[in-house]
Amino acid sequence: MNQMTDPKLAATNPMLRVTDLTHRVSLETDTLTILQGVSLEINRGESVAIVGRSGSGKTTLLGLLAGLDTPTEGKVELDGAEISSLTEDQRAQLRASRVGFVFQSFQLLPALSALENVMLPLELAGMESPEARAKELLERVGLGERLSHTPRQLSGGEQQRVAIARAFASDPVILFADEPTGNLDNRTGQAVSDLLMDLNREQGTTLVMVTHDEHLAARCGRQLQIEAGVLTEPEAARELAD
Amino acid sequence: MAAAKKLMSVRRDWRERDVRVVLVALVIAVATVATIALFANQLQRTLVSSASSFLAADRQLEAENGRPVPAEWIDEARERGLETGQLIEFSTMVFGEGGFQLVSVKAVSDEYPLRGEIEIQPGSDAPRQTVGAGPGRGEIWVNPRLLRLLELEIGETLEVGNLELEITSLLIREPDGGFRLSSLAPRVMIHVDDVPGTGVIQEGSRAEYVYLFAGPDNLLDDYYQWLEPRLEPSHEWESVRDGETFSRSLERAERFLLLGGSLAVLLAAVAVAVASRQYALSQRDTVALLKTLGLSSRGIGGLYLRRLALWGIAGVIGGLLVALPLFWILVRLLSDVLEQPVDFHLAPSALLPALLTALVSLFAFAYPPIRRLRNVAAMRVLRAQPGESGRDAIPDIAIAILAVFGLVWLYAGEVALVFALLGGLALLLAVLALVGGLMVAVLRRVRGGGNAWRLALVGLYRHRQASMAQMAVFAMTLMLAATLILVRTSLLDDWQAQLPDNAPNHFLINIAPDAVDEVEAFWAERDAPLDTVYPMVRGRLTELNDQPVLEAVSKDERIGALNRELNLTWMAELPEDNEIVAGEWFAPGDTIGVSVEAELAERMGLVMGDRLTFTIGSETVTEPVTSIRTVQWDSMKPNFYMAFPPGGGLTDMPGTWITSFHLDEGNKVALNEFSRRFPTVSVLEIDHIIERIQQIVRQVTQAIEAILALILAAALVVMAAVVSATLRDRQREGALLRTLGGQQSLLARSTMLEFALLGFVAGIMGVLAAEAAVYALQVRMFEGTFRWHWQVMLPIPFISAALLALFGRWQLRPVLSVSPMLLLRRLE
Repeated sequence: MNQMTDPKLAATNPMLRVTDLTHRVSLETDTLTILQGVSLEINRGESVAIVGRSGSGKTTLLGLLAGLDTPTEGKVELDGAEISSLTEDQRAQLRASRVGFVFQSFQLLPALSALENVMLPLELAGMESPEARAKELLERVGLGERLSHTPRQLSGGEQQRVAIARAFASDPVILFADEPTGNLDNRTGQAVSDLLMDLNREQGTTLVMVTHDEHLAARCGRQLQIEAGVLTEPEAARELAD
Repeated sequence: MAAAKKLMSVRRDWRERDVRVVLVALVIAVATVATIALFANQLQRTLVSSASSFLAADRQLEAENGRPVPAEWIDEARERGLETGQLIEFSTMVFGEGGFQLVSVKAVSDEYPLRGEIEIQPGSDAPRQTVGAGPGRGEIWVNPRLLRLLELEIGETLEVGNLELEITSLLIREPDGGFRLSSLAPRVMIHVDDVPGTGVIQEGSRAEYVYLFAGPDNLLDDYYQWLEPRLEPSHEWESVRDGETFSRSLERAERFLLLGGSLAVLLAAVAVAVASRQYALSQRDTVALLKTLGLSSRGIGGLYLRRLALWGIAGVIGGLLVALPLFWILVRLLSDVLEQPVDFHLAPSALLPALLTALVSLFAFAYPPIRRLRNVAAMRVLRAQPGESGRDAIPDIAIAILAVFGLVWLYAGEVALVFALLGGLALLLAVLALVGGLMVAVLRRVRGGGNAWRLALVGLYRHRQASMAQMAVFAMTLMLAATLILVRTSLLDDWQAQLPDNAPNHFLINIAPDAVDEVEAFWAERDAPLDTVYPMVRGRLTELNDQPVLEAVSKDERIGALNRELNLTWMAELPEDNEIVAGEWFAPGDTIGVSVEAELAERMGLVMGDRLTFTIGSETVTEPVTSIRTVQWDSMKPNFYMAFPPGGGLTDMPGTWITSFHLDEGNKVALNEFSRRFPTVSVLEIDHIIERIQQIVRQVTQAIEAILALILAAALVVMAAVVSATLRDRQREGALLRTLGGQQSLLARSTMLEFALLGFVAGIMGVLAAEAAVYALQVRMFEGTFRWHWQVMLPIPFISAALLALFGRWQLRPVLSVSPMLLLRRLE
């Protein structure tokens, strides 16, 4: 599919490598440290859950890993590219070609139909006829009959399924999911996470997911706990809590 | 309820963008209308007072019978609080060292002029200056040409009848330098109290007594009410509006201002309608929530009505706060342009249209979509309900059209204008629907992106609903602005064409029939060829269908032309600028009939075949009316109420010939030689009048430009408001596109292209609709002829494309400047 699946490269390079990442935001009076000295590695094909309480910094970490923002200190290497050294446009290109997103609040454009929402990243990537691919994905997530419906006409679960179809549309090598079931009831959430996991397996995508849903986290190959901006192994976290 | 009330506070409202747009639109509406109304009012006053200086007063009473009017008439005017002044005009011989010369004397009282100023030159090398009063007793001011004719210098004396007067200044220009036939000879000005001393005016002398009046319109009108029954046929009451030369220029300027005002109202209405609809849509969730909490439909209606009233008050106050300083600046600019101080006049009545506009904008344009909020289902809280269908908006549109109709009618007072505008708008919307449908059909095929162009096209399709709505508003705004630009351009062109640089500025009158060829040769040699030379016979219209004319014509009509001698002529060809409106022009060889000027014919109620009897000296001539024709009184060429065919009724009547021609300032010396060679021919110099008219046209032009600029600014704001109506959606989309990997530069380019395309198409349609509206307007309102205006129109689509591209870029600014993560969080 692309060079990233080259086994040699895959062997030598982790999908994601974070070294001494620290992130601060300036408020009016002082500076707030959101992440402190985070280091981690995620291998190709791995599925990783980042868990933690609200406000622990997990969503910020996810954004930094995905190159939506740049850290104050430290390095993030995504598929071999050092994010801080890239320009904003280069980061955008990286996202367009290799990264997929699923958000807690779905982030579908209300004016567009389900089909058009899924076509959006394909159009951005310059695909010639994105319609067929978008339809195929919507059929895969079970919405083949609802192509022309706008988000308002879809239930929450259906909206998230459109978002998942969109995330996989551009064949990403890594998928970032931010509380993908956070706005859904248990059963719908279960169905959506099944879909996410299945597609992830089918496409061989690396998955990084932020969640506080323990069941969902348990379905991932590895779990990272984050507390007050510091990354800990879950076992260690439990000990601390005790 | 306390919480609900808090939810409804204006302060909270202000934090909502859609409300800000409604309020800003309202402020613009009120400010624009108030500024235009105030300024138009001021301009009106300034123009009238500027025009008044043509009479040197607001009104003149002329006694052509050579007798002063009873003193009590003037006393009455003074008692009523009017300013008065007097002048006597007569012709006489003056004697200087170098000989004698027939002059036209204007003897003025201390008060003269009540309006305007006199321009003099106190020495041959001294600079010209303007003064507010005429010469004192014992002084005489003279036309520079007279000085040369009599070989006199300033400081020497001139004999007028029995009196020796000292020449103290050259008379360059008098405000009321009208072209009456009595003022043929070079002009001199003296003090009215010196007139008895000259002994020139005896019982029965040909002198014209003119009385000047100035004051507020209502006092003048009251006075005229009192005076009218006392007037004799030889008395003529003149106001600025009667001045043929220029009332039409004034009228056109006035109409333009009204048209501008109406268009401003339309623009404002569009802005308010768009913003309030947007607001209503954004309020649906809130209303559903309030209903869920138990508020009734009535309660919701009341809440929003109160809210609307609050906006209205805020909008009016805000609008006036903007309008007043703006008005002050415009008045200052006006006074700079006019090179004379303009008295700042704040007419409270001029604020009424602004209040009315605010009220109508709110209740006809803003209220309907907000009113429908009452119908929002509470179920919406739980689940999205189908949105509004277009059908719901039909009553809104009907109300809006009625309101527009009413407002434009009220402001412009012209049904034709209303229909022209509404017709243009209807046509525009029909074409828009068609073009929009076509565009969507074509764009549907465009899929996939990659480059900015394709992304822009995909974007247009993606936003088709919003795009079409915005395009309609842009096209309408552009149409209104383009209409105004077009009307202004053709108005100015017409004026320019009316008084070209080589317009005739001298009349030759009283040419003896056997001298016509010689006179023509004289001027041809001096590169100042004469226009057509017409015979002129003085005669009075005495009978209509064998009845005395004053009895035959309706008593309500006071027709000056019937009270004095008319200039009659014969001609074979219809003058170029005349137009036959009824009957037919004389065929070659015709000797029967008379052609009558259209306005006079209408006031007299003449129809083809009516028999007119003229008394010429001791003879009478009776001819049937065979045609009615329009006359360009302001053409500065000889014009005639009555024209006979060659060999017709006027043949063998004693007459002289008249013509006009253009003479350059530098060539004026030739007039001296001409006067010596043709002493009996009278030269009427009207170059100063023409210059004055051109100056006034320039003033009006400047004012029109100022108002146009104001309205274009309003149009820009409307467009900005409409673009920002979709700001949130656009920003959200931009943020998401960036997250999904859209590059900043690509996003910026494609958005600019998308808006540019929108602006270009809207521009083309707006321009076409404007041409259609102008076609209707031009023919009806401004009595002009229609021309296409490619050079004016061509740039508009490009300008609109560029403007919208900039708007689009500006809208995207926050999306491009921060990290996608921050954007998504902000928009969540």
